[in-house]
Amino acid sequence: MSAADIVAILQGAVTTASLSCIAIVLGLPLGLLLAITRWARVPGLAQVVMVYVSVLRATPLVTLLLLLYFALPNIGMPIGAVSAAILALVMNTSAFNCEVWRAGLMDFPKDQYEAAQAVGMRSLPRLRRIVLPQVFRVSLPGLVNEMSLLIKVTPVLAVVGVVDVTRAAVRIGAETYEPLPPFLVALAIYMPIVYAIVALQRLMERRLARAQAAE
Amino acid sequence: MNSSAPSSRHDARPVLTLSHVSKSFGSLLVLDDVSFRVHRGETICLLGPSGSGKSTLLRCINWLERPDSGEIQLGGVRIGITTGGLVMTDRDLSRVRTRIGMVFQHFALWPHMTVLQNVMEAPVQVQKRPRAAVRDEAEALLAKVGLSDKQDVFPAKLSGGQKQRVGIARALAMRPELLLFDEPTSALDPELVGEVLAVMRELALDGMTMVVVTHEMAFAREAASRIVFLDRGRVVETATPNAFFTAPASDRARQFLLRYAGNDGRRVAGLEAGSPT
Amino acid sequence: MIRDFLVVWRERGLLIDGLENTIVLSLVATTAALSLGALLCPMLMSARASARLAAAAFVDAMRCIPFLLFAYIVYYGLPSLGINLDNWRAGLAALTLYNTAYMAEILRGAWAAQPREPIDAGYAFGFTGLRHFRRIVLPPLLLSAAPVVGNQVIQIIKDSAFLTVIALPELTHAASSIQSRHYIPFAAFITAVLLYWMLCLTVEACVASIGRLAEARR
Repeated sequence: MSAADIVAILQGAVTTASLSCIAIVLGLPLGLLLAITRWARVPGLAQVVMVYVSVLRATPLVTLLLLLYFALPNIGMPIGAVSAAILALVMNTSAFNCEVWRAGLMDFPKDQYEAAQAVGMRSLPRLRRIVLPQVFRVSLPGLVNEMSLLIKVTPVLAVVGVVDVTRAAVRIGAETYEPLPPFLVALAIYMPIVYAIVALQRLMERRLARAQAAE
Repeated sequence: MNSSAPSSRHDARPVLTLSHVSKSFGSLLVLDDVSFRVHRGETICLLGPSGSGKSTLLRCINWLERPDSGEIQLGGVRIGITTGGLVMTDRDLSRVRTRIGMVFQHFALWPHMTVLQNVMEAPVQVQKRPRAAVRDEAEALLAKVGLSDKQDVFPAKLSGGQKQRVGIARALAMRPELLLFDEPTSALDPELVGEVLAVMRELALDGMTMVVVTHEMAFAREAASRIVFLDRGRVVETATPNAFFTAPASDRARQFLLRYAGNDGRRVAGLEAGSPT
Repeated sequence: MIRDFLVVWRERGLLIDGLENTIVLSLVATTAALSLGALLCPMLMSARASARLAAAAFVDAMRCIPFLLFAYIVYYGLPSLGINLDNWRAGLAALTLYNTAYMAEILRGAWAAQPREPIDAGYAFGFTGLRHFRRIVLPPLLLSAAPVVGNQVIQIIKDSAFLTVIALPELTHAASSIQSRHYIPFAAFITAVLLYWMLCLTVEACVASIGRLAEARR
């Protein structure tokens, strides 16, 4: 395996990293929006969100990706591989994030919310200043967990031609007839990143448990 | 006044003998050269401050904890170590344990079985007794502790006092020679303590051989044949309840009765102002 | 659009075969992963540091590796070491091995959450060895672990779809070949999505009924 091969894998890593970041940045607020819609029981929309989340959590990412990539152009919305990949990742992660946010929202003590209502705070500031900071703190471990899951699922983007770490490794292995070394390089890229995120999640869980015990 | 001799109405053969039992957890000495005997029909109450090793001692009797040294004999048979000095096999240990019943502080009922199934489980599965006969006996025992109507209920739906009464029935179903009680009422709400103590009192009167670790001083005074007082792992004093509560021989026992027994102990010990000493 | 779905209906044999393969893959992998996980679990909790650290290293490794990469390694990488597996065996091996780690961790968590006293009571009443495990330990453990195991089963079903990249004829692969032959991507994949959804709802219903059993005893 040559230096050029390693560079190719690292380029794939950049693709993986940037697509993951975009998906995380878009998926977090979208998940929150979905969760609030269900939590606030917006008539009509809440049920739609419930079905949407249920279906998306049950759908394998590869199936969703193929659906978007092949079906959208067919019904008049042309879409490239990268856009389809981002869309699939965002749809997937927002559905899981929704459930994490929703658990945090449901955990939120109702009397605090009512107290804010009683002193005359209007809906949006109430949400922003009272509810969200605490819900964010409680949901953080779950959201970080979801980030680690997202990274672990990015290799699937290769099926629509996006050259990520895994696809680069597979290609090099096919060209050099030595599949194992590029795979090991790929492992050396994924594992520390995922491990760091999991360690971060465990740290947050411990902090949260301590803070909750102190309350 | 120290008394290790059984009172006259009890059988002279010891059911349980502890000789020089010691145990440490790491560097902490929990039991220090503990020896005493229990005779048929006696009710021994193990009293002492928290951390005195009472529960550990009880758990050593049926080998849930292994003593580091010393001997424990049930009706002349050594528990845990064979006569050859080897560690007992699981099967032999199991056989000894079926002769000893145990009632736990947090009831320890098996949550996936109904009340009746809990009582029947060990006699059928371990003692291999016929199911129909065990069922009859189990139903009779549940009637005896006043829980016939709860036979087919799962333990989660019972109150603490009810759970403990089931625990007692479950232990009795094994037809044990000896019953061990590990702080049986400590986890109960105060108003539920009485119903459990009543069952225990009746068992004592019926002649059951019992070793009870408890903080219920009134019960100890009423129902015990002998008090064994432990402090920091040592047997400091053994005496009849009367002797122990009115005129404890050791300073440690006196301190204990004043400090840990609280109002209950003061009254029981006759130390309340105005009562005769 | 309706025409597209009619084509899917005509090709339903392929889809049903794919669905069957997905179900078989998932069931076999789940059973194997649970059994192996149950064997690995005591190692995770072992007092012997060598066993415990080895088991923990395996679990952590599987937790940090993307499943698809692992499947590729098993299918394309192992032949370099002399182990040649066809796509079925490789897929099943990857799915099983990967999830063994997760099942072991799930069982360990469920075990840690079990109260000690009823287990002690089992020993005090004379239960030993396998009988103790089967009658005293296992039932409450399974009841408490069921929801988390259920989630893992759903994960296994979704991971099985990844195996389409090594040409395993499971559901997504079937939908792919229908869409490439008839150019009906929407109908084909939406049908696949709906079928996955139904599988997931079935698993959730099973977990819910076990949950009702557990509730009665809680």
